[in-house]
Amino acid sequence: MIKCVVWDLDNTLLSGVYLESPDHPPAADPELTGVLAELAGRGILNAIASRNPPEAATYAQAATGHEFAAARCGWGPKPAALAEIAANLELGTDALAFVDDDALERAEVSFALPEVLVLAPDEVADAITWPAFSPSVLTEEGRRRGALYLQRRERQAQAHAFGGSRDDFLRSCRTSISIAMADRADLPRLHELSVRTHQFNSAGTELSQAALAGLLGSADHRVITVRLSDRFGDDGIVGGCVIATAEPGAPDPGIWQVPLLMMSCRAIGRGVIDALLAWICATAKTAGAARVAVSCVITPRNVPLRIALTGAGFRAAAGGGAGTAEYVRSLDGPLPAAPAWVGQEVP
Amino acid sequence: MRSQEAVADQIRQILADLTGDDRPLTAAPDTPLLRDGIGLDSLGGTMLMVAVQRTFGVDVAGEDLNLDCLACIETLAAFVAAHLTAA
Repeated sequence: MIKCVVWDLDNTLLSGVYLESPDHPPAADPELTGVLAELAGRGILNAIASRNPPEAATYAQAATGHEFAAARCGWGPKPAALAEIAANLELGTDALAFVDDDALERAEVSFALPEVLVLAPDEVADAITWPAFSPSVLTEEGRRRGALYLQRRERQAQAHAFGGSRDDFLRSCRTSISIAMADRADLPRLHELSVRTHQFNSAGTELSQAALAGLLGSADHRVITVRLSDRFGDDGIVGGCVIATAEPGAPDPGIWQVPLLMMSCRAIGRGVIDALLAWICATAKTAGAARVAVSCVITPRNVPLRIALTGAGFRAAAGGGAGTAEYVRSLDGPLPAAPAWVGQEVP
Repeated sequence: MRSQEAVADQIRQILADLTGDDRPLTAAPDTPLLRDGIGLDSLGGTMLMVAVQRTFGVDVAGEDLNLDCLACIETLAAFVAAHLTAA
Protein backbone atom coordinates (compact mmCIF):
# COMPACT_ATOMS: atom_id res chain seq x y z
CA MET A 1 0.00 0.00 0.00
CA ILE A 2 1.45 3.36 -1.05
CA LYS A 3 1.36 5.93 1.76
CA CYS A 4 3.53 8.63 0.21
CA VAL A 5 4.38 9.70 -3.34
CA VAL A 6 7.76 11.40 -3.71
CA TRP A 7 7.93 13.79 -6.66
CA ASP A 8 10.82 15.10 -8.69
CA LEU A 9 10.38 18.75 -9.71
CA ASP A 10 12.21 19.54 -12.99
CA ASN A 11 10.16 18.39 -15.99
CA THR A 12 7.95 16.43 -13.62
CA LEU A 13 5.84 18.48 -11.19
CA LEU A 14 7.14 21.62 -12.92
CA SER A 15 6.76 22.09 -16.69
CA GLY A 16 10.43 22.96 -17.16
CA VAL A 17 13.73 23.28 -15.30
CA TYR A 18 13.64 25.47 -12.19
CA LEU A 19 17.23 26.80 -12.33
CA GLU A 20 17.17 27.52 -16.07
CA SER A 21 14.72 30.36 -15.69
CA PRO A 22 15.24 31.93 -12.25
CA ASP A 23 13.22 35.01 -13.13
CA HIS A 24 10.22 33.12 -14.44
CA PRO A 25 10.28 29.63 -12.92
CA PRO A 26 8.22 27.10 -14.86
CA ALA A 27 4.54 26.64 -14.03
CA ALA A 28 3.25 23.55 -12.26
CA ASP A 29 2.19 20.69 -14.52
CA PRO A 30 -1.61 20.93 -14.45
CA GLU A 31 -2.31 17.20 -14.78
CA LEU A 32 0.11 16.18 -12.04
CA THR A 33 -1.13 19.01 -9.81
CA GLY A 34 -4.54 17.40 -10.10
CA VAL A 35 -3.01 14.07 -9.08
CA LEU A 36 -1.54 15.70 -5.94
CA ALA A 37 -5.00 16.76 -4.83
CA GLU A 38 -6.51 13.39 -5.70
CA LEU A 39 -3.87 11.56 -3.63
CA ALA A 40 -4.28 13.94 -0.70
CA GLY A 41 -8.02 13.28 -0.81
CA ARG A 42 -7.29 9.56 -0.45
CA GLY A 43 -5.10 10.15 2.60
CA ILE A 44 -1.85 9.57 0.66
CA LEU A 45 1.01 11.98 1.37
CA ASN A 46 3.02 13.91 -1.19
CA ALA A 47 6.71 14.79 -0.84
CA ILE A 48 9.49 16.32 -2.95
CA ALA A 49 12.95 14.99 -3.84
CA SER A 50 14.73 17.29 -6.26
CA ARG A 51 18.21 18.27 -7.43
CA ASN A 52 17.64 21.92 -6.74
CA PRO A 53 18.21 24.48 -4.00
CA PRO A 54 15.69 24.36 -1.14
CA GLU A 55 13.83 27.41 -2.51
CA ALA A 56 12.60 25.18 -5.33
CA ALA A 57 10.42 23.28 -2.85
CA THR A 58 8.97 26.51 -1.50
CA TYR A 59 8.27 27.60 -5.07
CA ALA A 60 6.64 24.25 -5.89
CA GLN A 61 4.33 24.59 -2.89
CA ALA A 62 3.21 27.99 -4.13
CA ALA A 63 2.93 26.88 -7.78
CA THR A 64 0.86 23.78 -7.02
CA GLY A 65 -1.06 25.24 -4.07
CA HIS A 66 -0.23 22.03 -2.21
CA GLU A 67 1.59 21.61 1.09
CA PHE A 68 4.08 18.75 0.99
CA ALA A 69 4.64 16.45 3.96
CA ALA A 70 8.42 16.46 3.38
CA ALA A 71 10.95 17.86 0.94
CA ARG A 72 14.58 16.96 0.21
CA CYS A 73 16.34 19.31 -2.16
CA GLY A 74 20.05 18.93 -2.85
CA TRP A 75 22.62 17.22 -5.01
CA GLY A 76 22.90 13.94 -3.17
CA PRO A 77 21.66 10.64 -4.59
CA LYS A 78 17.88 10.21 -4.86
CA PRO A 79 17.80 6.88 -2.97
CA ALA A 80 19.30 8.65 0.07
CA ALA A 81 16.70 11.42 -0.26
CA LEU A 82 13.90 8.85 -0.38
CA ALA A 83 15.27 6.98 2.63
CA GLU A 84 15.43 10.26 4.57
CA ILE A 85 11.88 11.14 3.60
CA ALA A 86 10.65 7.69 4.66
CA ALA A 87 12.51 7.97 7.99
CA ASN A 88 11.19 11.49 8.52
CA LEU A 89 7.60 10.35 7.95
CA GLU A 90 8.23 7.12 9.86
CA LEU A 91 7.20 5.00 6.90
CA GLY A 92 8.90 1.99 5.39
CA THR A 93 10.46 2.73 1.99
CA ASP A 94 8.08 0.08 0.60
CA ALA A 95 5.25 2.55 1.30
CA LEU A 96 6.78 5.03 -1.19
CA ALA A 97 6.15 5.66 -4.84
CA PHE A 98 8.67 7.80 -6.74
CA VAL A 99 7.91 9.86 -9.84
CA ASP A 100 10.77 11.22 -11.97
CA ASP A 101 11.16 12.05 -15.66
CA ASP A 102 14.85 11.08 -15.66
CA ALA A 103 15.36 7.41 -16.58
CA LEU A 104 18.75 7.29 -14.83
CA GLU A 105 17.31 8.59 -11.59
CA ARG A 106 14.50 6.04 -11.81
CA ALA A 107 17.03 3.26 -12.45
CA GLU A 108 19.19 4.34 -9.51
CA VAL A 109 16.20 4.26 -7.15
CA SER A 110 14.98 0.93 -8.55
CA PHE A 111 18.42 -0.55 -7.97
CA ALA A 112 19.05 0.81 -4.49
CA LEU A 113 15.47 0.57 -3.21
CA PRO A 114 13.74 -2.20 -5.17
CA GLU A 115 10.73 -2.00 -2.87
CA VAL A 116 9.86 1.54 -4.04
CA LEU A 117 7.25 1.81 -6.79
CA VAL A 118 9.07 3.80 -9.49
CA LEU A 119 7.02 5.64 -12.11
CA ALA A 120 7.60 7.94 -15.06
CA PRO A 121 5.36 11.04 -15.10
CA ASP A 122 3.23 9.66 -17.95
CA GLU A 123 2.53 6.47 -15.98
CA VAL A 124 1.08 8.26 -12.96
CA ALA A 125 -2.47 8.84 -14.14
CA ASP A 126 -2.92 5.12 -14.78
CA ALA A 127 -1.00 4.00 -11.70
CA ILE A 128 -3.26 5.81 -9.25
CA THR A 129 -6.11 3.55 -10.33
CA TRP A 130 -4.13 0.52 -9.08
CA PRO A 131 -5.15 -1.07 -5.79
CA ALA A 132 -1.88 0.02 -4.16
CA PHE A 133 -3.17 3.60 -4.38
CA SER A 134 -6.70 2.85 -3.23
CA PRO A 135 -7.19 2.50 0.49
CA SER A 136 -10.35 0.41 0.75
CA VAL A 137 -11.66 2.42 3.65
CA LEU A 138 -11.50 6.17 3.90
CA THR A 139 -12.01 7.66 7.29
CA GLU A 140 -11.95 11.14 8.75
CA GLU A 141 -8.45 10.47 10.14
CA GLY A 142 -7.34 9.24 6.74
CA ARG A 143 -8.45 12.40 4.98
CA ARG A 144 -6.88 14.52 7.70
CA ARG A 145 -3.60 12.63 7.48
CA GLY A 146 -1.84 15.28 5.42
CA ALA A 147 -2.74 17.92 7.99
CA LEU A 148 -1.65 15.63 10.83
CA TYR A 149 1.80 15.22 9.30
CA LEU A 150 2.15 18.99 9.14
CA GLN A 151 1.40 19.11 12.88
CA ARG A 152 4.10 16.58 13.42
CA ARG A 153 6.60 18.51 11.37
CA GLU A 154 5.93 21.46 13.65
CA ARG A 155 6.40 19.20 16.70
CA GLN A 156 9.72 17.92 15.30
CA ALA A 157 10.93 21.43 14.51
CA GLN A 158 10.20 22.49 18.07
CA ALA A 159 11.86 19.36 19.48
CA HIS A 160 15.06 20.22 17.59
CA ALA A 161 14.94 23.77 18.90
CA PHE A 162 14.13 22.67 22.46
CA GLY A 163 17.04 23.04 24.90
CA GLY A 164 15.96 20.58 27.62
CA SER A 165 15.87 16.80 27.67
CA ARG A 166 13.58 14.74 25.45
CA ASP A 167 11.40 13.96 28.48
CA ASP A 168 11.11 17.66 29.28
CA PHE A 169 10.10 18.33 25.69
CA LEU A 170 7.49 15.56 25.72
CA ARG A 171 6.11 16.90 29.01
CA SER A 172 5.91 20.37 27.47
CA CYS A 173 3.86 18.91 24.58
CA ARG A 174 1.08 18.09 27.08
CA THR A 175 0.59 14.67 25.52
CA SER A 176 -2.81 13.24 26.40
CA ILE A 177 -3.88 9.65 25.80
CA SER A 178 -7.46 8.52 26.12
CA ILE A 179 -8.26 4.81 26.32
CA ALA A 180 -11.90 3.80 25.83
CA MET A 181 -14.21 0.94 24.92
CA ALA A 182 -14.90 1.10 21.18
CA ASP A 183 -18.37 1.72 19.86
CA ARG A 184 -19.80 1.15 16.38
CA ALA A 185 -18.73 4.57 15.12
CA ASP A 186 -15.08 3.63 15.78
CA LEU A 187 -15.12 0.47 13.65
CA PRO A 188 -14.13 2.01 10.28
CA ARG A 189 -11.06 3.58 11.86
CA LEU A 190 -10.12 0.39 13.71
CA HIS A 191 -10.48 -1.58 10.49
CA GLU A 192 -8.29 0.99 8.70
CA LEU A 193 -5.63 0.71 11.40
CA SER A 194 -5.67 -3.07 11.05
CA VAL A 195 -4.94 -2.63 7.32
CA ARG A 196 -2.45 0.22 7.50
CA THR A 197 -0.30 -0.54 10.54
CA HIS A 198 2.77 -2.76 10.27
CA GLN A 199 5.51 -1.61 12.64
CA PHE A 200 3.05 -1.74 15.51
CA ASN A 201 0.74 -4.57 14.63
CA SER A 202 0.79 -7.85 16.52
CA ALA A 203 -1.49 -9.82 14.21
CA GLY A 204 -0.36 -9.03 10.68
CA THR A 205 -3.85 -9.74 9.34
CA GLU A 206 -6.58 -7.22 8.79
CA LEU A 207 -9.79 -7.36 10.76
CA SER A 208 -12.99 -6.59 8.82
CA GLN A 209 -15.61 -4.25 10.20
CA ALA A 210 -17.97 -7.21 10.44
CA ALA A 211 -15.46 -9.18 12.50
CA LEU A 212 -14.91 -6.16 14.74
CA ALA A 213 -18.66 -5.71 15.14
CA GLY A 214 -18.92 -9.35 16.17
CA LEU A 215 -16.24 -8.85 18.82
CA LEU A 216 -18.00 -5.70 20.02
CA GLY A 217 -21.11 -7.73 20.77
CA SER A 218 -19.20 -10.57 22.43
CA ALA A 219 -19.40 -10.76 26.23
CA ASP A 220 -15.90 -12.14 26.66
CA HIS A 221 -14.13 -9.69 24.34
CA ARG A 222 -13.25 -6.05 24.69
CA VAL A 223 -12.47 -3.80 21.76
CA ILE A 224 -10.41 -0.82 22.82
CA THR A 225 -9.59 2.51 21.15
CA VAL A 226 -6.70 4.81 22.00
CA ARG A 227 -6.91 8.50 21.17
CA LEU A 228 -3.94 10.85 21.23
CA SER A 229 -3.68 14.61 21.37
CA ASP A 230 -1.15 17.22 22.41
CA ARG A 231 -0.78 20.98 22.17
CA PHE A 232 0.06 20.70 18.47
CA GLY A 233 -3.17 19.00 17.56
CA ASP A 234 -5.60 16.14 17.92
CA ASP A 235 -4.54 12.90 16.19
CA GLY A 236 -7.84 11.12 16.87
CA ILE A 237 -7.76 7.33 17.17
CA VAL A 238 -4.16 6.18 16.72
CA GLY A 239 -4.36 2.71 18.17
CA GLY A 240 -6.48 -0.06 19.55
CA CYS A 241 -6.60 -3.63 20.68
CA VAL A 242 -8.84 -6.62 21.04
CA ILE A 243 -8.79 -8.45 24.35
CA ALA A 244 -10.23 -11.88 25.06
CA THR A 245 -10.95 -11.61 28.75
CA ALA A 246 -10.75 -14.69 30.92
CA GLU A 247 -14.14 -16.24 31.55
CA PRO A 248 -14.81 -17.99 34.83
CA GLY A 249 -14.78 -21.70 34.04
CA ALA A 250 -12.58 -21.31 30.97
CA PRO A 251 -9.66 -23.77 30.74
CA ASP A 252 -7.23 -21.09 31.89
CA PRO A 253 -9.23 -18.35 33.61
CA GLY A 254 -6.06 -16.64 34.78
CA ILE A 255 -4.99 -15.31 31.40
CA TRP A 256 -6.10 -12.34 29.31
CA GLN A 257 -5.35 -12.95 25.65
CA VAL A 258 -4.66 -10.07 23.25
CA PRO A 259 -5.12 -11.30 19.67
CA LEU A 260 -4.63 -7.84 18.17
CA LEU A 261 -2.59 -4.89 19.38
CA MET A 262 -1.99 -2.07 16.92
CA MET A 263 -0.87 1.53 16.69
CA SER A 264 -0.31 4.00 13.88
CA CYS A 265 3.37 4.62 13.28
CA ARG A 266 2.73 8.36 13.42
CA ALA A 267 2.22 7.94 17.18
CA ILE A 268 5.65 6.35 17.62
CA GLY A 269 7.73 7.78 20.45
CA ARG A 270 4.75 9.43 22.14
CA GLY A 271 4.04 6.91 24.86
CA VAL A 272 0.92 5.38 23.32
CA ILE A 273 1.86 1.71 23.21
CA ASP A 274 3.46 1.90 26.66
CA ALA A 275 0.31 3.51 28.12
CA LEU A 276 -1.89 0.90 26.43
CA LEU A 277 0.18 -2.05 27.71
CA ALA A 278 0.20 -0.51 31.20
CA TRP A 279 -3.58 -0.12 31.11
CA ILE A 280 -4.17 -3.69 29.86
CA CYS A 281 -1.97 -5.14 32.62
CA ALA A 282 -3.54 -3.04 35.38
CA THR A 283 -7.09 -3.78 34.19
CA ALA A 284 -6.41 -7.50 33.84
CA LYS A 285 -4.93 -7.64 37.33
CA THR A 286 -7.92 -5.81 38.80
CA ALA A 287 -10.19 -8.34 37.08
CA GLY A 288 -8.29 -11.18 38.77
CA ALA A 289 -6.14 -12.39 35.87
CA ALA A 290 -2.65 -13.72 36.61
CA ARG A 291 -1.11 -13.15 33.18
CA VAL A 292 -1.52 -11.23 29.93
CA ALA A 293 -0.53 -12.85 26.62
CA VAL A 294 -0.13 -10.98 23.33
CA SER A 295 -0.11 -13.20 20.24
CA CYS A 296 2.45 -11.75 17.92
CA VAL A 297 3.59 -12.61 14.41
CA ILE A 298 7.37 -12.54 14.12
CA THR A 299 8.31 -10.30 11.21
CA PRO A 300 11.08 -7.76 10.69
CA ARG A 301 8.35 -5.16 10.22
CA ASN A 302 6.97 -5.27 13.76
CA VAL A 303 10.28 -5.16 15.62
CA PRO A 304 9.26 -1.82 17.21
CA LEU A 305 6.17 -3.46 18.72
CA ARG A 306 8.20 -6.38 20.01
CA ILE A 307 10.71 -4.00 21.57
CA ALA A 308 7.81 -2.23 23.31
CA LEU A 309 6.53 -5.59 24.59
CA THR A 310 10.00 -6.52 25.83
CA GLY A 311 10.35 -3.14 27.54
CA ALA A 312 7.02 -3.73 29.32
CA GLY A 313 8.25 -7.05 30.69
CA PHE A 314 6.64 -9.45 28.18
CA ARG A 315 8.67 -12.48 27.12
CA ALA A 316 8.11 -14.63 24.05
CA ALA A 317 7.22 -18.27 24.29
CA ALA A 318 6.83 -20.49 21.24
CA GLY A 319 3.29 -19.86 20.04
CA GLY A 320 0.61 -21.70 18.12
CA GLY A 321 1.76 -21.60 14.53
CA ALA A 322 5.03 -21.07 12.74
CA GLY A 323 6.17 -17.48 12.71
CA THR A 324 4.13 -16.49 15.73
CA ALA A 325 4.93 -16.26 19.41
CA GLU A 326 3.00 -15.62 22.58
CA TYR A 327 4.45 -12.68 24.48
CA VAL A 328 3.45 -13.37 28.08
CA ARG A 329 3.74 -11.27 31.19
CA SER A 330 2.97 -12.24 34.76
CA LEU A 331 0.89 -9.75 36.74
CA ASP A 332 2.69 -10.52 40.00
CA GLY A 333 4.75 -7.70 41.40
CA PRO A 334 5.18 -4.22 39.91
CA LEU A 335 3.26 -3.58 36.69
CA PRO A 336 4.59 -1.61 33.71
CA ALA A 337 3.79 2.09 33.90
CA ALA A 338 2.92 4.68 31.28
CA PRO A 339 5.59 7.36 30.82
CA ALA A 340 5.37 10.01 33.54
CA TRP A 341 4.86 12.79 30.95
CA VAL A 342 1.63 11.29 29.56
CA GLY A 343 -1.74 12.56 30.75
CA GLN A 344 -4.30 9.76 30.68
CA GLU A 345 -8.03 9.19 30.58
CA VAL A 346 -9.00 5.58 31.11
CA PRO A 347 -12.35 3.85 31.45
CA MET B 1 37.93 -10.61 15.77
CA ARG B 2 36.57 -8.04 18.16
CA SER B 3 36.39 -8.78 21.86
CA GLN B 4 33.16 -8.38 23.79
CA GLU B 5 34.72 -5.42 25.56
CA ALA B 6 35.49 -3.69 22.27
CA VAL B 7 31.96 -4.40 21.07
CA ALA B 8 30.55 -2.96 24.29
CA ASP B 9 32.54 0.24 23.75
CA GLN B 10 31.16 0.58 20.22
CA ILE B 11 27.64 -0.02 21.53
CA ARG B 12 28.18 2.71 24.13
CA GLN B 13 29.19 5.08 21.35
CA ILE B 14 26.07 4.14 19.32
CA LEU B 15 23.92 4.79 22.39
CA ALA B 16 25.58 8.15 23.00
CA ASP B 17 24.93 9.11 19.37
CA LEU B 18 21.30 7.94 19.56
CA THR B 19 20.46 9.69 22.80
CA GLY B 20 22.60 12.77 22.23
CA ASP B 21 23.94 12.25 25.74
CA ASP B 22 27.45 11.29 26.95
CA ARG B 23 26.27 9.23 29.89
CA PRO B 24 26.10 5.89 28.01
CA LEU B 25 29.87 6.21 27.37
CA THR B 26 30.57 5.61 31.05
CA ALA B 27 27.46 3.57 31.96
CA ALA B 28 27.95 0.31 33.86
CA PRO B 29 27.76 -2.91 31.82
CA ASP B 30 24.53 -3.91 33.58
CA THR B 31 22.73 -0.64 32.72
CA PRO B 32 19.33 -1.57 31.22
CA LEU B 33 18.80 -0.37 27.65
CA LEU B 34 15.02 0.01 27.59
CA ARG B 35 12.95 2.28 29.81
CA ASP B 36 14.79 2.99 33.09
CA GLY B 37 18.50 2.97 32.45
CA ILE B 38 19.51 4.27 29.01
CA GLY B 39 15.82 5.00 28.59
CA LEU B 40 15.24 3.78 25.03
CA ASP B 41 11.62 3.50 23.95
CA SER B 42 10.47 1.30 21.08
CA LEU B 43 11.66 3.89 18.55
CA GLY B 44 15.08 4.21 20.22
CA GLY B 45 15.33 0.43 20.49
CA THR B 46 14.59 0.06 16.79
CA MET B 47 17.21 2.65 15.88
CA LEU B 48 19.71 0.78 18.08
CA MET B 49 19.03 -2.45 16.20
CA VAL B 50 19.47 -0.74 12.85
CA ALA B 51 22.76 0.78 14.04
CA VAL B 52 23.96 -2.58 15.39
CA GLN B 53 23.15 -4.24 12.09
CA ARG B 54 25.03 -1.55 10.15
CA THR B 55 28.03 -1.57 12.49
CA PHE B 56 28.44 -5.29 13.15
CA GLY B 57 26.31 -6.98 10.51
CA VAL B 58 24.36 -8.76 13.23
CA ASP B 59 20.58 -8.93 12.83
CA VAL B 60 19.54 -8.95 16.47
CA ALA B 61 15.78 -8.91 15.86
CA GLY B 62 16.04 -11.76 13.39
CA GLU B 63 18.11 -13.99 15.66
CA ASP B 64 16.84 -13.26 19.16
CA LEU B 65 13.07 -13.80 19.21
CA ASN B 66 12.78 -12.73 22.83
CA LEU B 67 15.01 -9.72 22.36
CA ASP B 68 16.44 -10.84 25.71
CA CYS B 69 19.80 -9.47 24.66
CA LEU B 70 18.30 -5.97 24.88
CA ALA B 71 18.30 -6.32 28.68
CA CYS B 72 21.50 -4.31 29.19
CA ILE B 73 24.72 -3.15 27.51
CA GLU B 74 26.55 -6.32 28.57
CA THR B 75 23.93 -8.76 27.23
CA LEU B 76 23.79 -6.98 23.88
CA ALA B 77 27.60 -6.88 23.62
CA ALA B 78 27.80 -10.60 24.44
CA PHE B 79 25.14 -11.42 21.84
CA VAL B 80 26.82 -9.36 19.14
CA ALA B 81 30.32 -10.70 19.97
CA ALA B 82 29.04 -14.29 19.86
CA HIS B 83 27.45 -13.75 16.46
CA LEU B 84 30.57 -12.03 15.12
CA THR B 85 32.59 -15.08 16.15
CA ALA B 86 30.12 -17.40 14.53
CA ALA B 87 30.23 -15.51 11.24
